[in-house]
Amino acid sequence: MADNKFKTRLEIAKKRISKRATKNTNNQSSLLGIAFKMSTELVAAVLVGTIIGFIFDNWFGTKPWLILTFFFVGVIAGVLNVIRTAKNMQK
Amino acid sequence: MATNPMHQFNVYRIGPQIKIDQIDISFTNASLFMIISCISILLIFNLGTSKKNIIPSKIQLLTELSYTFISKMINDTAGSKGKPYFGFVFSLFMFVLFCNMLGMLPYAFTVTSHIIVTFVLAAFIFIGVTVIGFIKHGFGYLKLFVPSGVPIVLLPLIVVIEIISYLSRPISLSVRLFANMMAGHTMMKVFGGFVISLGIVGGWLPLSFSVALTGLEILVAFLQAYVFAILTCIYLNDALNLHH
Repeated sequence: MADNKFKTRLEIAKKRISKRATKNTNNQSSLLGIAFKMSTELVAAVLVGTIIGFIFDNWFGTKPWLILTFFFVGVIAGVLNVIRTAKNMQK
Repeated sequence: MATNPMHQFNVYRIGPQIKIDQIDISFTNASLFMIISCISILLIFNLGTSKKNIIPSKIQLLTELSYTFISKMINDTAGSKGKPYFGFVFSLFMFVLFCNMLGMLPYAFTVTSHIIVTFVLAAFIFIGVTVIGFIKHGFGYLKLFVPSGVPIVLLPLIVVIEIISYLSRPISLSVRLFANMMAGHTMMKVFGGFVISLGIVGGWLPLSFSVALTGLEILVAFLQAYVFAILTCIYLNDALNLHH
């Protein structure tokens, strides 16, 4: 009798814990983190591309051209980064 | 004045000025708060591991939980090969977390709200991970920049894009932490300033905002430390288990 009662109490407790666990996985705050992560991923690649273009321009003396091409290459790299992080999250 | 929301980010010298050639290495409030966070980490973890009870005390529970938290994180992202780097990731996570959390105290200085601090941390991770990759795989590590199944015509463009995307890692890592901390602390200060200037009549709305923002900031402080650590694990995973 006492054993039976304990089992039902255990079941109830387990159910409550599993409910809490499912609630934690889709909370709003981590979505904000994801959004911020994506945006910095995009901006950083564009920044790096532009900086590389600027440095190469100074080296080779081809003033506006390399910075322009590397800017767009950076944009492509940024979009690629965002797609990759999105794919990682869906796993 | 103290009502200036950016005033909290000022770095000033404590004690005498120390100079080596042109480089100023005086002790500042930033260095003070880094040392405080290091000492508090050491104190908590020494206390928590001094008595190994079967039924843990609260502080022992805290240390054990943080141990399992990080060890599970490394296992999930980098696999069993990531185990040797546990010490590094753990101390990194704890340092960032304590710097963020100490910044939440009134009159405290937030070390991680300065981009040079976060950038040095990120650059250290970036260089370390690259060196580990070259040690483990030799020049085969360069295969990271050449994805398989790409037509030969597009290859030069793809390699350039991959290199830029690899170089953007430390920037995105450092900018994310720095921007989150700085934006949050500025916003809190701005709403705090509204409370003062609107006085007892209109100050209640910004005050309630301030309370809510404090809660959000504590969450962000934890979340950003977590993101910093988990991205380190992901980069380690790329260097350890090369797959393309």
